[in-house]
Amino acid sequence: MSRRNRGNAGTTYVNNVRGPTSALTSFLNERGIRRANPAPAPVATPPENEDDSDDDDDEEPASPQNQAASSSSSSSTPAPVTSSSRPTRTARLTRGRTLPSPSTSASRSNELDGVNDDSDSDDSDDDESDSDNKNLVPIAVSASMARAVRATRSRAVAVASSSSSSNASASTARAKAATAAASKKRPRKKDASDDSDDEDFHDITGHITRSNFSHKGRMPQGSNKIVFCSRCRARFTIKAGTTPAVDEDDGGLLCPTCAGTGSPGPSKSALPKAKPVKRARRKAQKAEIECHIPTLQDLCIQKIANSIEDVEAFGDISDISLDKICKIICRNRSLNAETLQLFLDARHSELILYDCTDITAIGLQNIAQFCPNLRSLKLKLCGRITNEVMDYYTEHLTKLASLTLIGPILILEQTYIKLFETVGERFEKFELKGSSRFSLKAIKALCDNCPNITHLRLGDCNLMDDEWLEPIAGLTKLKSLRIRNPEPDKLTTSAVVKLVQAVGSGLEELELKGCTGLTDEVLVDAIRPSCVRVERLNLSGCEELTTEGVETLFKDWSINSGLTYVNLENCVMLKDEALMAVTEHSGATLEGLNMSGMDEITKDALQTLTRCINLAELDASWCRAMDDDIMEQLVEAAPRLTKVTVWGDHRLTECCSSRKGLRIVGREGDYVDLRFL
Amino acid sequence: MSSLTPAESEYVTLESSDGFQFVIHREVAMLSGTVKNMLSSPGHFTESMEGVIQFRDIKAIILEKVCKYWYYKARHLNSVTEIPHFEIEPEYALETLMAADFLDT
Repeated sequence: MSRRNRGNAGTTYVNNVRGPTSALTSFLNERGIRRANPAPAPVATPPENEDDSDDDDDEEPASPQNQAASSSSSSSTPAPVTSSSRPTRTARLTRGRTLPSPSTSASRSNELDGVNDDSDSDDSDDDESDSDNKNLVPIAVSASMARAVRATRSRAVAVASSSSSSNASASTARAKAATAAASKKRPRKKDASDDSDDEDFHDITGHITRSNFSHKGRMPQGSNKIVFCSRCRARFTIKAGTTPAVDEDDGGLLCPTCAGTGSPGPSKSALPKAKPVKRARRKAQKAEIECHIPTLQDLCIQKIANSIEDVEAFGDISDISLDKICKIICRNRSLNAETLQLFLDARHSELILYDCTDITAIGLQNIAQFCPNLRSLKLKLCGRITNEVMDYYTEHLTKLASLTLIGPILILEQTYIKLFETVGERFEKFELKGSSRFSLKAIKALCDNCPNITHLRLGDCNLMDDEWLEPIAGLTKLKSLRIRNPEPDKLTTSAVVKLVQAVGSGLEELELKGCTGLTDEVLVDAIRPSCVRVERLNLSGCEELTTEGVETLFKDWSINSGLTYVNLENCVMLKDEALMAVTEHSGATLEGLNMSGMDEITKDALQTLTRCINLAELDASWCRAMDDDIMEQLVEAAPRLTKVTVWGDHRLTECCSSRKGLRIVGREGDYVDLRFL
Repeated sequence: MSSLTPAESEYVTLESSDGFQFVIHREVAMLSGTVKNMLSSPGHFTESMEGVIQFRDIKAIILEKVCKYWYYKARHLNSVTEIPHFEIEPEYALETLMAADFLDT
């Protein structure tokens, strides 16, 4: 854990696994094969520097700090172990291909070592070099790679890129490794241009990553270049055809802010202060860990829990504040039988508890005792709720109309059936997530007894299969249907098509998240003809959807007047035409759009986003064509924009335009403090 | 005030929703994760350049309590002697909790 330095210079992860010249490195050095692009440094990197670097250094010479670090590490790291195992891996990697650079190849190979360790590939070398590599590739890496493989692809590379240090290529390597890991999970051949150019990244098993992402592509020659301001060290883009301002003092380039104002940015004096501040900060952090002063939040919660009897002492609390407080207490994992009292009141008709892990069964029963007038109950992480408690609710919550249960692992089929039979026509909203006991019988009981259901949400129910969809099709009043993460291959497209055709006309919200096997038929045969009223559409994770399908759905879809929310996260095969069809159909009404993972989208399609004038939230992570230009246009075109998520969009720099009230999440420069390299 | 520019001054100003200003040491304010991020983010934000942070949701009484807590913590951070208890009035406990959550402290 300690090796993972977020932004602290001096102990970059890459350097820790450097050794003296390996066979590969000397091979490359002899032939003069260097990395295609200079590392993030001022544009004028004299090529003589590269030739000067002696063979002992494995680092690319462009950044002096790397040089210093590598020369120090080359003497220390246990070399023989690395060099013996490394050539095997990198040799396989470089089958007939020029490697961009020794360091990137080494770091990449180590990345892949870590990845392979975790993703159980069938490489025979795994075992032999396993232990070796584990010595050098610290737990942090394999842990992070494990995390990467487990998490979704976007989150994976977010972790990688957020903790990546100086080397832009290291983060690329990690990103590619994580991509390789994820794409290995669902192996996918690139449909076009398989015989792509040499710079394409091939992962170890030989699959080309879908994204055609390469070093060369990362820093495009001739179009917008990303460079560093010599004064304030912020990254900014030089648009092709324009010349940036030049600093008179040292001849370096200036970002628009420094050039425009002419005043010395804040950091000229801040830079030398950086090291002592950081040392002090590190000391303070150490001290914080060792001291035992509770946080202010803990103190407050303790106080609240202690004086829970004098609830009047707290004064009048608005419902919104109460909900906020509930969230805070749950976040601090302090919701238990005592603090729960704060939220129980006979006047409440709605109750949301975000984390019921520490509430015992008795505590849960108290909810029904103290709040008998509840109309809506939402219990998250309620693994402790027992069948007796559930029966108690069934009996005593006579006004219950809406129930959400997240994680009720103990509740049996019979209990659910009893609940549905008792609540009957009262029941309007039912949400269940994470139950492997909810069966076909239960869903049939729901649909038979509760015809007035308007919102039905079923997620992570292991037993869900096609047979479930039939009774659901009988719910005529359904307004919102969410089916999340069924077991893979259990839901077939034809069954889903029939369901949507049956209930589609009333639906305002349709979500089929994680239903990986669904094909275009759902779009063309079911959604297009039936879902006239739908406003929110979530098809994230439906990887088989193609551009043609989405185009056919949205083109001239006149019966639908426009969607407010579209989520196509991880629909990785979608290309430009799909996005353009969406923006053309729903541009005026769209308030939320999630196109994360559509990395084949190009700039032309992204520019059509300016048509979405009402856009409030946009997730454009992994759309690598996103850059400062488009961000500027978007910010101008959509005055209501409040949040833009851009993980993995490396072309966005700190100098891209923003405005008050707009949150940009996931910009590389926000997490990697590139000044302190 | 010192002759340093606001960005490097030893003190920062925190302004509450009802217009009260609290001038406290920069290091002490950095005990809050939120304030630390505001003051030291790499972008050109007003907060980091001028050393003034406005909290439009936090009342003066609560902000005062939070500042007191920061000084309490800074004072006793490395002490080996017995640390006295930091008292919070129950009337303010809930609002202080919300402020503390926002300030990540």
